[in-house]
Amino acid sequence: MKGRMPHKASVYLAEGRQARFKKMNLPRCIAALLAVCMCLAAVTACGSLPGGAQEGTAAEPQEARKKDVTLTFGSHQSGLPTSGVVQELAKEYEAQTGVKIDFQIVSDAQWRDLLKVKLDAGEAYDIMNVDADPLSLVSRINPEQNCVELTDQEWVSRMNPIVLDGISVNSKVYGIQFNGIRRSVFFYNKKIFADLALQIPTTYEAFKQVCQAVKDSGLTPIYEATQNGWHQVLPVCETGSYYVTLYDDLYEKLNKNEMNIKEVKEIEIILNEMKEFAELGFFGDNFMNQSVEGAKEAFAKGEVAMFNNDTGWAAETEAEFPETAGNIGIFVAPWSDNQTVSSNPTCNAYFINKNSKYVEEAKGFFAFLAEPDSLAKFLEGAPNLVSLCWKDTPSKEKPEYEAYFNSLPAGVVMQVGVSYIDPQWMDIGKDIDAMYVGIMTPEEIMDNISLRRDELAELAQDPAWVN
Amino acid sequence: MCLLNFNKTYPTYYAIPALLLFVIFFFLPGVLGIFYSFTDWNSLRAEVNFVGLKNYLKIFSGQYDFVKYILNTVRFTGLTMITKTVFGIIFAMLLTHKLVKFQNIQRMVIFIPQVMSFLIVGLVFKSLLNPVTGFFNNFLKSAGLSVLARNWLSDSNLALSTVIAVDTWKGVGYLMIIVIAGIHGISSDYYEAAQIDGASFLQKTWHITLPLLKPVILNVTVLNLTYGLRVFDIIYALTNGGPGHATEVINTAVYSEFSKGNYAMGTTLSGILFVFVMLLSFFILRVLEPEEKS
Repeated sequence: MKGRMPHKASVYLAEGRQARFKKMNLPRCIAALLAVCMCLAAVTACGSLPGGAQEGTAAEPQEARKKDVTLTFGSHQSGLPTSGVVQELAKEYEAQTGVKIDFQIVSDAQWRDLLKVKLDAGEAYDIMNVDADPLSLVSRINPEQNCVELTDQEWVSRMNPIVLDGISVNSKVYGIQFNGIRRSVFFYNKKIFADLALQIPTTYEAFKQVCQAVKDSGLTPIYEATQNGWHQVLPVCETGSYYVTLYDDLYEKLNKNEMNIKEVKEIEIILNEMKEFAELGFFGDNFMNQSVEGAKEAFAKGEVAMFNNDTGWAAETEAEFPETAGNIGIFVAPWSDNQTVSSNPTCNAYFINKNSKYVEEAKGFFAFLAEPDSLAKFLEGAPNLVSLCWKDTPSKEKPEYEAYFNSLPAGVVMQVGVSYIDPQWMDIGKDIDAMYVGIMTPEEIMDNISLRRDELAELAQDPAWVN
Repeated sequence: MCLLNFNKTYPTYYAIPALLLFVIFFFLPGVLGIFYSFTDWNSLRAEVNFVGLKNYLKIFSGQYDFVKYILNTVRFTGLTMITKTVFGIIFAMLLTHKLVKFQNIQRMVIFIPQVMSFLIVGLVFKSLLNPVTGFFNNFLKSAGLSVLARNWLSDSNLALSTVIAVDTWKGVGYLMIIVIAGIHGISSDYYEAAQIDGASFLQKTWHITLPLLKPVILNVTVLNLTYGLRVFDIIYALTNGGPGHATEVINTAVYSEFSKGNYAMGTTLSGILFVFVMLLSFFILRVLEPEEKS
């Protein structure tokens, strides 16, 4: 059409365009151009791959494409050893295969909620570090729907069978776990106890007297950490081994809904004791702003005398603060006169996202971690681990601690034995915070725990509740 | 030549594309959310059953803390609306006054927090407000004002006020910029006439600036209202709803319900928020309408 236009006419048209362009507002033209650019940028961005990975063209060799793979690894801060051994092993895996692992670490208090929301939104990480236990695994990540089955992997048979329940659904294995059995204890500074001529307490009254003596000496008796959201729940749930000695078939009755958790009076007693400790100043002035990570330094400096955690904490503290070596003793928490050892065979484990583009690479990483050399490095490089849940791996537990544990009756922690406790762990933590600041009573916390159990059971259409 | 003639009234169907986009991307999800609020939709089971008003009754039964969270949201919205508007206007008036030097630099300093990420602001203020190691309390103590030192974020009576203060600090610059634009739109003739009549600064503010800023203030109020009711980030970053549940708001509860897998309850709370925001925005825009017409 244009080609057939007389020369004069095309000149007029061009002049007309120029005149029209001049009349148009320049800023508007710029704005229109910018808008087009933004649209193009948005379309281009939508086409990019997650995790920063670039898709190679078909002409590129397979090896070159592999080099571009980045696996995202989501974890909570206390889910990985602070020594960074997992990250070091990931670097070794990268050196061997070219597959990068991008660790995305989130605070403990926000991890569980964040992971659930990410899974629901279809934006979860390629590898997820999940608190795995047989009663909560399905409600937490629903592995059958969201995770890659790993039953056929060679390394599964080398894991201790005791941990398989926590990472399996319907006899299918979905995760890989490293930590061995953990036991919850109070650590104490032997020197402070010796200087004040204190004995390890075996009753609540004795515990109170010990704390009072420490407080009178000008030190903080117990390092409590509420900022992580989970630590304050330990006394309530990790005294489960004691509850089962007081009630016949307790866990079974609670799981069958034949008994209400409010009937376990010792839980409320312990909550009252915790409240009393806070009011007596045994946790110090700043415990509502403290996090677990600060405990080691405070303990090593001799500012606090006791701290509640699992046994790996002593080895971790000794590694970070060598001056504490040989100065850390243990005793079981004598809340409500407890004298039993609570064990927890479950721990955080790694799972592969079913929707990941790089399932084979993630499986390769798991296989690499499960190699005997990697396991040895894992145990060696993670001071907080005293044992691995793998056959033929040694235990680093101190003979002194082992002897103490063997002298007491043992049982399983409540969150592993009782359904609908672990999924509400962080909510219980918030309730305990509310109790510490005076806006909730121990009785109200018990009501909430019971109410949330009912609610979760109803959501799951648990036959023990619904029928 | 302009593409549109702004003096011409175009046919109503010209609004259809924009309306369609709004309905698909904003209105329908909200309505769908309300539909799901009448079900037991959750992550533990595939089937979705109609449960009527059960979720709504649960919220207002008093057995749970949801009403408290709704009240916290309203309190947060009301107070941030007042503080941000008042300080926004004060800063805007000061920073348009000819006696104040380096106006652009000062405006920039006040505006900078607005462009900072909520998570960064949360982390920084958590550190600054730590009662033992934080800057605020240590500053007060070194200034001989130990009596004013507080547990800013861990005292249940103070935590929400602290969050409101931090949010005001972060958002006031944005409102200040809007108000400055409004002040620049006021003709200097009014002030000159008032000057001749011997009006003081306060009289000029009260009788000229504020009345002529009314449309701007109403717009700012709508912005504050919709932001305040939907607040999440700053609370998540600063207190995560704590201590206890003292600073929980509707959206932290929605987040918590979604994370538990109780999607139906999450959508019920979102639905309440949706209706609430729609009604309030509609009401305020109706109030605004005569101003625009005039």
